Amino acid sequence: MARLPIGQRVRDARNELGLTQLALAKSAGISPSYLNLIEHDKRLIGGALLGRIAKALEVSVDHLSGTDDPLLAQQMIDLVRSQALPDTDEKDALQLVGERPKWARNVIGLHHKYQEAAETAFALSDRLSQDPTLMELSHAMLTQITSIRSFAEILEEVADLEPEERLRFSSIIASQSDRLGSSAREMINLLSGPRNALNLTSPEKEVDDFIVWHGNHYPSLEDAAYQLHVRLSQKRNTLEGAITDILTGDHEITIRFVADAGQQERMNLVEKSLLLDETALDTTTRFQLARALVEIELADMIAEIADSERLTSEESRRRCRQALANYAAGALLFPYHEFLETAENQRYDIERLGLKFHGSFEQIAHRLVTLRRPGAEGVPFAFLRADPAGNLSKPFGIPGLPMPRFGGACPLWAIYIALSSRDRTISQMAVMPHGERFIFVARRLSKRAVGFGAPRTTYAVMLGCDATYSDRIIYGDSFVPGRISQENQVGFTCRSCPRERCAQRAQQSVRATPASTGPDQRARQGGEDVKS
Amino acid sequence: MGTGRTQGGWPVTTKILVAEDEPFIVESLTFLLSREGYSVDSISDGGEVVDAMHRIRPDLLILDIMMPSSNGFDILQKIRITPNLKSTPVLVLTAKGQDADRRRMLELGANDFMTKPFSNAGLVAKVGDLLPGDGKAEEQVI
Repeated sequence: MARLPIGQRVRDARNELGLTQLALAKSAGISPSYLNLIEHDKRLIGGALLGRIAKALEVSVDHLSGTDDPLLAQQMIDLVRSQALPDTDEKDALQLVGERPKWARNVIGLHHKYQEAAETAFALSDRLSQDPTLMELSHAMLTQITSIRSFAEILEEVADLEPEERLRFSSIIASQSDRLGSSAREMINLLSGPRNALNLTSPEKEVDDFIVWHGNHYPSLEDAAYQLHVRLSQKRNTLEGAITDILTGDHEITIRFVADAGQQERMNLVEKSLLLDETALDTTTRFQLARALVEIELADMIAEIADSERLTSEESRRRCRQALANYAAGALLFPYHEFLETAENQRYDIERLGLKFHGSFEQIAHRLVTLRRPGAEGVPFAFLRADPAGNLSKPFGIPGLPMPRFGGACPLWAIYIALSSRDRTISQMAVMPHGERFIFVARRLSKRAVGFGAPRTTYAVMLGCDATYSDRIIYGDSFVPGRISQENQVGFTCRSCPRERCAQRAQQSVRATPASTGPDQRARQGGEDVKS
Repeated sequence: MGTGRTQGGWPVTTKILVAEDEPFIVESLTFLLSREGYSVDSISDGGEVVDAMHRIRPDLLILDIMMPSSNGFDILQKIRITPNLKSTPVLVLTAKGQDADRRRMLELGANDFMTKPFSNAGLVAKVGDLLPGDGKAEEQVI
């Protein structure tokens, strides 16, 4: 993470202890004038000096550096990137996190509320203009109001009405008023009706948020899956064979291979049956067996994790349990330490890892994203999946590289190139408008069509990591530092991208345009005022 | 007034056809327009409007474009391409105030609009405006 301007934090902590600048400088082993520069954010510090100052101030390094809340800095950066905030850049965002973390949290909170409100408004307007029931109701109400108004005016303005006419028109007004009342009630019911009729945070998005909030790493599931793996390894069988043994032996599950398993309920615990697709690839079958086992063995743990207030509906919790079962199946088939060690040795070559661990490209890619155990972390990867229509799913961002949750990403990203590239893994050195560099690795995947004429399901998955990891991953080998021809100048989304002359521009940018966004400017931005 | 026109020295009743599926609106329009001296016929099925116009030969059509079973746009278009009917003025009743619908109706040959809910006086005035040789038009000649 970028260094935050922490001058205010240092000053606050020093004042709390009642220390003078002189006293703090002395115990941190720096000159008072240098401390003054730090306290006024003229020097951004890290490393040993940060440690000495934290020690002298009796606070943790994390507290002082703002890394006790890394999400906050990330969220602020994402906010600046996605919104048109006049005269505000990422540096300003980090400054707010550093100096006024409470305010930064409030800004993020307000932004979330704004996003929810905007989505509500969009869904409502969409609904009002599309919903046939609403259209019909509003037409009926207008008709009723028209009759009521017309007859009321007749009663008021026509002096020579016959008594029976007067009676009839009054009764029409009364009956139309009743109908209007029930139409209005019907409309209110429709609009406020079942709580989730207008619930805009979809279960999919709630689960996406849940995964991001957990950093896509669940220590308890990892431990439990590992213990299960050890238990399976003690059987004299392949991993797959041992899983099948436990499923059919201990749990008395009948496994049946059928032609169209995808269309039916996969596992039925009442009937004790597991349906597998007879046409599925071996890697898929193996994964589904593992998932069936963890769904039984780790059911309580999975349910407990998914029993979160972040998930507001049963459907969200159900989807979350599915996601957690997939996670645990990955953890069972690709045990953390062995997988991490092999990944490091094989330099994160997804296809090689797939061969070694009998996993598909997507399974391996998913597992790589989960290697976040504190103290034994792999390369931090972002993840994204896209279909040919541009629908995005499973977004998981990393610091500096948020993954879009709505709409599209930059059309120049490798994930879109991969969609049109068959049987080839695409790697890309993606240079963002402000010079941040990421390596993207993407591949198109198709689910096999079964039978003549059946459509293939196609999508692409993408991993992204900071380019500083390029020597740890095989995909970094294609790029020679300094070879601009190998770099792709991309953005995050069109709306947030200042590259005015981009041929792929789909939407006008809403951002103030820096005069130049080339590598030179990056060097100026990055190097100048950072010292430790 | 509805009997403003003359033919051979005899007053001729001005005929108005109301194409509207809501019986109470038909009733109030019939009441109002009859009081003004017009002869009012009504039809509730959009699919029969053109036939009814051939039969009745109204001097003005009041057309609700939101009738089920037929699209007001289609009816209007059909009237405007039918030789005997194309010069009949059409007052459109609409529940939609949207500009796009209004533009479309004008392009298709509607003469004027009333957006529901409308005032009785407003409706009667518009009807008067749209009838040739009737009401205000006659006064202007004088």
